[in-house]
Amino acid sequence: MLDTVFFYLFTLLTLGGAILTVATRNAVHSALFLITSLLGVAGLYLLLHAEFLFAVQIIVYVGGIMVLFLFVIMLVNLDAAAAQRQFSRMWPVALGCVALVGLELFYFLGKGEPAFRIAAPPPVPEPTAGNTERIADVLFSQYLLPFEIASLLLLVAVIGSVVMAKKRI
Amino acid sequence: MLDSFIPSWAELLRFMPEIILSLVGSLLVMLEPVTGPKSKSMLGHVAIAGLIVALGATFVAHANPGAAFSSMIVVDGFATFFRVIVFTVGILTIFSSYQYLDREGSNRGEYYALILFSVVGQSVMVVANELIMIFIGLEISSIATYVLAGFLRDDKRNNESAIKYFLLGSFATGFLLYGIALIYGATGTTDLGEVRQAVLQSAEPPVLLLSVAAGLMFIGLGFKVSGAPFQMWTPDVYQGAPTPVTAFMSAGPKAAAFAIFLRIFVTVFESVGDRWEPLIWASALASMTIGNFAALQQKNFKRLLAYSSIAHAGYVLVALTARSEIGTASAMFYLAAYALMNMGAFAVIAHVAGKGETTVDVSDFAGLGAKQPVTAALLTIFMLSLIGVPLTGGFFGKFYIFKAALESKLLWLAILGLLNSAVAAYYYLRVLVVMYMEEPSARTENLEPMPMSLQAALWLPAAGVLFLGIFPSAVLEFASASARLLGQ
Amino acid sequence: MSFLGWITLAPLFGFFLILFLPRNNPALIRQVTLLLSLVIFAGSLGLLSGTQPDTNVPWIPDFNINFHLSIDGLSIWLVLLSTLLTPIAVLISWKYIDHRVKEYHALLFLLEFGVIGVFVAMDLFLFYVFWEVSLVPMYLLVGIWGHERRIYAAVKFFLYTMAASVLMLVAIVYVYLQAGTFSYPEILRMIGSSQLVFSPTAQFWLFLAFFVAFAVKVPLFPLHTWLPDAHVEAPTAGSVMLASVMLKLGTYGIVRFCLPMFPGAARECADWIVALAIIGIIYGALVALVQPNMKKLVAYSSVSHLGFVVLGIFSFTQYGMDGAVYQMLNHGISTGALFILVGCLYERRHSLEIKDYGGVGTVAPWLSIVFVVTTLASVGLPTLNNFVGEFMVLVGAAKVSLTWAALASLGVILSVCYMLWLYQRTFTGETPEEVRKHVYDLTPREWAALLPLVILMVWMGISAQTFLPRITASTSPILKQTTVNVPFQVQDATPASQEVADAR
Repeated sequence: MLDTVFFYLFTLLTLGGAILTVATRNAVHSALFLITSLLGVAGLYLLLHAEFLFAVQIIVYVGGIMVLFLFVIMLVNLDAAAAQRQFSRMWPVALGCVALVGLELFYFLGKGEPAFRIAAPPPVPEPTAGNTERIADVLFSQYLLPFEIASLLLLVAVIGSVVMAKKRI
Repeated sequence: MLDSFIPSWAELLRFMPEIILSLVGSLLVMLEPVTGPKSKSMLGHVAIAGLIVALGATFVAHANPGAAFSSMIVVDGFATFFRVIVFTVGILTIFSSYQYLDREGSNRGEYYALILFSVVGQSVMVVANELIMIFIGLEISSIATYVLAGFLRDDKRNNESAIKYFLLGSFATGFLLYGIALIYGATGTTDLGEVRQAVLQSAEPPVLLLSVAAGLMFIGLGFKVSGAPFQMWTPDVYQGAPTPVTAFMSAGPKAAAFAIFLRIFVTVFESVGDRWEPLIWASALASMTIGNFAALQQKNFKRLLAYSSIAHAGYVLVALTARSEIGTASAMFYLAAYALMNMGAFAVIAHVAGKGETTVDVSDFAGLGAKQPVTAALLTIFMLSLIGVPLTGGFFGKFYIFKAALESKLLWLAILGLLNSAVAAYYYLRVLVVMYMEEPSARTENLEPMPMSLQAALWLPAAGVLFLGIFPSAVLEFASASARLLGQ
Repeated sequence: MSFLGWITLAPLFGFFLILFLPRNNPALIRQVTLLLSLVIFAGSLGLLSGTQPDTNVPWIPDFNINFHLSIDGLSIWLVLLSTLLTPIAVLISWKYIDHRVKEYHALLFLLEFGVIGVFVAMDLFLFYVFWEVSLVPMYLLVGIWGHERRIYAAVKFFLYTMAASVLMLVAIVYVYLQAGTFSYPEILRMIGSSQLVFSPTAQFWLFLAFFVAFAVKVPLFPLHTWLPDAHVEAPTAGSVMLASVMLKLGTYGIVRFCLPMFPGAARECADWIVALAIIGIIYGALVALVQPNMKKLVAYSSVSHLGFVVLGIFSFTQYGMDGAVYQMLNHGISTGALFILVGCLYERRHSLEIKDYGGVGTVAPWLSIVFVVTTLASVGLPTLNNFVGEFMVLVGAAKVSLTWAALASLGVILSVCYMLWLYQRTFTGETPEEVRKHVYDLTPREWAALLPLVILMVWMGISAQTFLPRITASTSPILKQTTVNVPFQVQDATPASQEVADAR
């Protein structure tokens, strides 16, 4: 019961934050609402007993990335941008698309549970270790390669941003 | 427990090409500050050497086929085939880049490093046997390519190209990721083999969820291969990017994206094939038609080839629609031929383009046949191959694809596709017309002779195209054998 | 690889040889091309001796595609025609082609390679390959060395042929999927033994796909519009090769592939096709009558003459068929000669307009005499070659329907009108100053090009026996094949050559 209440609370936080992020005109407000949204996601992780992800979400996204965002927003003069008309005239098209997706969603919901039959979750072994430990186990055994390869992704991103941004190379 | 962490020698061997290329790429970045401004081409040589070694390692890996790293990757004929394609594309790209970069004053080590990293990403994509690996590979490849598209930072069109490619590419990746999530939701795993088993063994497979996943992945991959209706970005991005990078984009990432397209759709989504077949059927037809008819009106050669690449994506989608072993094999063959002929054609454009790419209209090629007959003859081979004239790889690839389509009873798609290729003949012929039948333009009048590197970038694909057209047997056998294994 | 294989590949060797010759020595290139093409012609004469073994080498084993070449009475003369006309084409281009000599001669060899390949290929895939390969050099010959509107003409030529032949590719693949092989003799065997049966609908569409591809090449009315453009814009040698050899690819294809593979559909459509052929005969002749341009006139006369060939084929009689094949050769020789003569005039006066000429006979008597002979051959004067072919075609047509024969004879009468009128306006009458100044008589080089053709005109006119037995030997099995799955039988299967001899 309590789980459900919290689930809807965090969902509200996530979705509401996301909507407000794109709906507010002030960039700083947008960033702050994005933080709210990300916090909501972190809460959802916690509900799933993924404590490690919860912590990472808060430290990396909320603590790191968003703070950086805020700095950038404050350093860059956004007044001119804010004065411009923010919304494209294409909004009726967007509205149509959203309506379509909504219809689709209701159709599937109407078809009921079989339509969305999700695979049974794999049997969870008796927790011999904490969540963080188990993630570490998987990350360094089964998912060793993607984990390592991801470092290459970061390297490429770093080189790329230097190439694109540095004044003189 | 700890023992299982450490990969065995055989496993490392199977992943050796990627390891080598990552190391060489990192080495290039480290060497960059210590090489003088005059000797940056050395770094390119190092990159080519790395790619050649990786090519060798590919064959060594192929001699030890199998899965590695808890079945994150699998080395099979299919993977080897596409590895060879993307490495070759890498080599050809670097060959055609030297002169271009020197002319633009941007010959820097990062360029070569990014090419290598992008190739690594594509290589990871084609060997991946797991959706997360596929995603990471795709991201590595894409991010490196985004940067390459905007490598000449002071050029406005470069910037436009990079931003467009980046925004739409990221958007597409989102769809792909959503598809992956749904597959995980439906089957509880991201390993392709296990997903397949789960679907096959389940008494009541989650058809709806898988179909939606297939649709979403189709959107994501459709963007990457520039198949209609997700082709809008292609002309602008291809036109704006530096020409050697355009060549690279049109061959390497495209081939790799098609590789995962084939791997996922042929293995995982086969069970819901009836649902996505009409989708791809329509997309194939639309790609061919839109690409060819739009190309008819292009003046800019790069834009023309961009639209033609949409059309060629359509031909490969025809092969996918066939949903058969021979369809897979024909797609593989076609991608190999297409990579070669497109690389060659773009190499000629890179040669003629001039500083700042001021002369890339088809009309700027006027009189090339008189001024540089060899260059013109090689471009003729590529154009004839793109048209699909016999004795070129392009013809045989097309023949193979439409044969597969007919075998799968796709009579109308085959007829419409072939009629399309007759339409395409018109705009490719125009290049020949201009080149041979018109008076030299201001550009071809003072065209500098071709440097050795660019000659390599032309002769190699020309030889390859003719080889594929005249002696297709070896490649054909390899492709059909790999396709057979893939289907199992 | 048998002798036939070597002869087929020899022009390809020539192509590469020319590519490696130095660009700045056009004289050497011309001499080498002439010499090599003569050697190839001499070699190809060797094909006449005995029965030639097939060449059958696996090419792409995965699809069971073989490099399978074979020659019979239907193809041998066409091959010889191609090898004969190549050195002639070199001769008549000697002065005329003065830029990009190297490419020009290389492409001539490539063209020769393509057309010979089409005539001897016995594997459907291989046939398609040669079919398309012959297209590219002709496109370039017209486009690079042609006259003012060459680009339009070249592109039109390429696109017409390409668009029609992709449908043939679909049909070829379809046949392959049904038969499991590309080997043509094998497919015929399967059809003959009813192992391979196409449903009437399938047969109809397959026939149509093949037939349209061939009909564009022939060209059959109303698919002929590319022909006048291509002929007028092509350089002389291009026109000669186009008229004499390339058009025959189409009629050859109909006889070789359309009839035996899809006999039912061929019979079914015969009336319509004959109607188109007769329209072509009369229309071509009428349009030729009013042409102010000599080349265009000859081009439209080709439309008319090729109509006879199609009429002969679709009469489904031994006479008509043999006459059609004979007429293919005749048209190749007499129209080839006409184009050469028109080219000679153009080289002198630099005009193709008839009104710019007149009284050429007084300044160039020999040119005039050769022109007369060729004209008479072309209009079907007895003792010259076209007479035999046209006569046989008309006899064949008359056996089926007198109306057909009567209508087609109109074409013969009209051809006399336009050809003789052309002669009259060009070679007789007042000699304008320009003509007097520029026109001179035939040079030895031109003699060398024309004499073999003139000799052939006479020889083929008086001694048809030299050629017909071989043709009949090949066409009568084809005619027999068309009775497979056809409710009615061919009435007349006696060797036509004998009857022709009797008729004489």
